[in-house]
Amino acid sequence: MRPLLEVEGLVKSFGTTKAVKGLDFTVMEGRCAALLGPNGAGKTTTIRMLTGLLKATKGTVRINGCSGSSHRDMRELLGYVPQSPSFYGWMTGKEYVAYAGKLCGLTARQADIRASELLSRVGLEEAGKRRIQGYSGGMKQRLGLAQSLVHQPKLLVMDEPVSALDPIGRREVLELLQELKSETTVLFSTHVLHDAEELCDDIIIMASGQIALQGSLQEVRNNNRLPVISIRLEEGEASREWALTLKRDAESFAQKTVERENESTAAALPHMTSSHLPLQRMPLLRHVREVEVEGYLVRLIVDDIAEARRSLLEELLRENVGVSKLEVGFSSLEDLFMKVVSG
Amino acid sequence: MSGLAASERSVRPSSGLSRFAAMFGKELLELVRSLKLIWVPIVFIALGIMQPVTSYYMPVILEKAGNLPDGSVIEIPLPTGAQVMAETLAQFGSLGALVIVLVFMGTVSSERNSGAVSMILVKPVSPASYLVSKWGAMLLLSSLSLLAGYGAAWYYTGFLIEAVAFKAVLSSFLLYELWLLVLLTLTLLLSTALRSAAGAAFAALGAGAVLSLLSNLFPKYAGWLPGALPGFARQAVMGSLEWSSRFGACLVATVMLLAALVLLANILLRRAAAID
Repeated sequence: MRPLLEVEGLVKSFGTTKAVKGLDFTVMEGRCAALLGPNGAGKTTTIRMLTGLLKATKGTVRINGCSGSSHRDMRELLGYVPQSPSFYGWMTGKEYVAYAGKLCGLTARQADIRASELLSRVGLEEAGKRRIQGYSGGMKQRLGLAQSLVHQPKLLVMDEPVSALDPIGRREVLELLQELKSETTVLFSTHVLHDAEELCDDIIIMASGQIALQGSLQEVRNNNRLPVISIRLEEGEASREWALTLKRDAESFAQKTVERENESTAAALPHMTSSHLPLQRMPLLRHVREVEVEGYLVRLIVDDIAEARRSLLEELLRENVGVSKLEVGFSSLEDLFMKVVSG
Repeated sequence: MSGLAASERSVRPSSGLSRFAAMFGKELLELVRSLKLIWVPIVFIALGIMQPVTSYYMPVILEKAGNLPDGSVIEIPLPTGAQVMAETLAQFGSLGALVIVLVFMGTVSSERNSGAVSMILVKPVSPASYLVSKWGAMLLLSSLSLLAGYGAAWYYTGFLIEAVAFKAVLSSFLLYELWLLVLLTLTLLLSTALRSAAGAAFAALGAGAVLSLLSNLFPKYAGWLPGALPGFARQAVMGSLEWSSRFGACLVATVMLLAALVLLANILLRRAAAID
């Protein structure tokens, strides 16, 4: 496996605002990578720079070792489907794909044959004879895919391939991608984690113009799996009160831990005992990293499941808190995504 | 069925010319499908016929519609054929130029706004050949329309008034086509620079008006500007065009302006292929 797409120090600024603040990543040949991030994270700007449609302010993009200076060669290797592909409405689907083929250097005959092949592959055999202006969003997306593959690109780049589609169109395109990714290297952007999880080998999470996290999906999932205890409280003022004090105590405990790490250990010890935190709660707080309260649903991210669970149960008994459900599990990629993206 | 992707890439000879031919073919097909290739020449033919016909029938028209007292004698000398042809050119200069600029006003901006152009420019083609293919379509449609309209004017002038020498007509046709190309190339550049098609048309016609105003107002200093071309075309058909250094300078300046406009459009398009 060798690197197909190498991005180094990619920066794009529009006037004074920096849309992309220095990206470094690599996509290996044969992999499927997702550029994941919320709207406005700089995904589209990044993709435009990869395709050469937008000049980077700084940094280099190399595809198969070719850099921007030999731009023409780079585009020979690249297939691109924009966010909502826009065609010449007066052309038929088949004419458009054949036109794309001719622009990539095929002869008229080759282009025609290739267009028929690709259209039947994306399920537009019949529609290919009609004018594009009558196509639905899903059909346009599939036509966009067909035209991007006309020159058998080494790298297929897609910007939000499914986000504008209805559930049926989404399914169709996702299934096509599932087939395609075994044949070529794919990089696509999305703001939907689920799509990335379904298709990808690698993910690159972007937030406000930077890479927040990257790696293979499996790696990222394993490295960031945290044990979580979630409990649903019985409704009532007392439960609510308890949840909020627990959250507050956990926060001040975490803060104290940081302070203590800054000072020398010896000096910090008496500090600890003079804390205003209730002593009985200390065993629990020691194992809790974070408390999230959402109505009557409380999620505790902990470091040691067994210890945390025992002290939590003690706490619930002592404080006489009504619990309707208690669940022990691990944080999902979704939690990680939300955390990374929100800050 | 062959694979969709990289598995069996073959090295293809890449010919820039065949890619350009494909793009020019697309522009032609668009002209045909949108019926512009039919109705724009028809407009020019109508404009071209109107001038000789109204010149010929002017006395009759005045007599029938003029509300003149009984017994008045109308004595209007029939203009010469060359005069009629020169007036036809003036018609093409106002209405004809307006039509042809409006036809092409969105040629780049509409494709840029919709994003269609970004799908084309990620293919291994140069922005220059994209622009030149558009320019080729402009050249084709404008020369075809002018040829049809001016040819119709020539035929009717010869039929109703008097024959005009072919050589004079041809040279004035070429000079006037060059002027239309100046307007259209301005449109091409402005359509690349501006988002709005109407803005591009307005600015192109305005720039054309400024050019011809300058060369008419200050013939001594600005007579070499492309704005003088309609005047030279007029002289050509009247048979009074003589080779002068000003005429030569005008031709050189025009060719240089055309090249500069296309070059500038190319730079703009290279810098940002798609508008966000």
